[in-house]
Amino acid sequence: MAVLAASASFLNAWRAAALAPSAMSEPSLRSVSSVPVTGAARVRSPHWESAFAAHYAALCDYVLRFVGSAEAAEDVVQELFLHLWDTRGPRDALRLTRRYLFVAARNRALKYLRHARVAEAWIARVDREAAPGPDTPEDHCLRRELDAAVQRAITELPSRCRATFLLRRSQGLSYEEIAGRLGVSLGTVKSQMWRAATLLKAKLAPLIL
Amino acid sequence: MFAESDLLRYVEGDCSPAEAAAIQAWIAADQGRSALLDELQALWRVTGAAARRWDVAGARRRLRASDASGAAPLLYLVPHRSTFWGSPWPLRIAAAVILSLAAALLWTRRPHVAPFREFATGPGQRAELSLPDGSRILLSVATRLRMPRDFGVRERRVELDGEAYFVIQHDSLRPFVVRTPYGTAEDLGTEFDVHAYEPEDGVAVVVARGRVALHGPDGAPRRGLTLGARDRGVIDARGRAIRTRGIRLESYVAWTRGALVFEDAPLPRVLAQLGRWYDLDIQTTDRSLDAERVTIAFSFSAADDALLALARVLDARFTRTGRAVRLLPVVHDRRRT
Repeated sequence: MAVLAASASFLNAWRAAALAPSAMSEPSLRSVSSVPVTGAARVRSPHWESAFAAHYAALCDYVLRFVGSAEAAEDVVQELFLHLWDTRGPRDALRLTRRYLFVAARNRALKYLRHARVAEAWIARVDREAAPGPDTPEDHCLRRELDAAVQRAITELPSRCRATFLLRRSQGLSYEEIAGRLGVSLGTVKSQMWRAATLLKAKLAPLIL
Repeated sequence: MFAESDLLRYVEGDCSPAEAAAIQAWIAADQGRSALLDELQALWRVTGAAARRWDVAGARRRLRASDASGAAPLLYLVPHRSTFWGSPWPLRIAAAVILSLAAALLWTRRPHVAPFREFATGPGQRAELSLPDGSRILLSVATRLRMPRDFGVRERRVELDGEAYFVIQHDSLRPFVVRTPYGTAEDLGTEFDVHAYEPEDGVAVVVARGRVALHGPDGAPRRGLTLGARDRGVIDARGRAIRTRGIRLESYVAWTRGALVFEDAPLPRVLAQLGRWYDLDIQTTDRSLDAERVTIAFSFSAADDALLALARVLDARFTRTGRAVRLLPVVHDRRRT
């Protein structure tokens, strides 16, 4: 009898336990935003993500001008970000700015060139170049005028030449892909690219330098 | 050795590092080549977004992989999920037997105390909690919210330590009650903010929509307030209930949008809240500063910017070492001479 009573009450308890959770599923929790935590940075704040997304490609482009090899340029920029992450702290707000990143990337590129024993004359040439300053509204205005001139110059190219150049520069195809697309040899693609470059250079030189 | 057209490969980055070094020596040896390279690089800059397609996502992944130690979880749920299924079989059977016996025992000896589920945010963290009944709770920085596991079965009761904004689906059969150490707020159909950090401030409730009943802690004589929209009710440390009508809601709930707004607030209150917001420990070095009242809005992502703004308003300066910040009054040159 006692056993029966116990099992009945156990059944009651089980039913109550089963009913209670079904009355309510789990509440869900999600983070809304995090103010960048200072001191010991405990979270990878949005600041980091946005700095990386905004500047990574531009920094690679910039370093590539000095080192000439995409592989080396990516190494330099990634090591810069790794270093910044390892030494993260209260100064991040200043270090993740465009200006700081470009100066730091340039210094790292110079260090890389010295280490790779590149000709002194080349290093001196890189050394003379200053890190780019911030964009001013005037720059913005000038760039729009420049863009129009560039578009005009490209449309004035001979058609074969223009097709090759656009496939490469605006669609980012490889030389092999362009050769396949246009049904010409790899050598032709390269010579057309060079021709486009010299023609555009002649037209735009006074504007872009 | 190289032809001028090889410069294009250099501009686009298609060289190996060794090849690049050789071309660099070749370019540097001749002024004309150097000028030509400048022109080509400039031309590439104006005719496309980038010199080549950089693998930004891949680089991001590599960077994250090299930092396996990673970030601590942004939010933590206490207590941790049970490890029942991780334990060995005999233990599990024993546990099940004991548990069922205990359950039977508990059932016969009601009322039992429901265990709690706890949600917490750290300094500088905010979180949104969605409840199955459609209500939403926005937790502010350095806040704990406890709710019984049987939340919502008969009543909806939560315990708050810190600040939270509640958007509640009203249900007169299952009232929503927020308990703090200093007083209790009961929803009568509504959207409201409850602020209960420090014992000296007590509890403050600001109502955005609907009505809220506010009364003192359970032991205290029940002197309640009924608050309507745009009312602010406070139960202070001595248990006094004060109501202010027609407040400017914006400054009290700005934190839900990521900004901090203070209107004529005593400086120690501002410093305490800034400390929670940016995970700082801010001290003043001068008693005269503590008496200041400030009106200021912060919507900065960087703590230093917020501190600079505050220092400017107070005509003070600050020093900072890691989390520790000291606010100092400015000594004017005039006074020194």
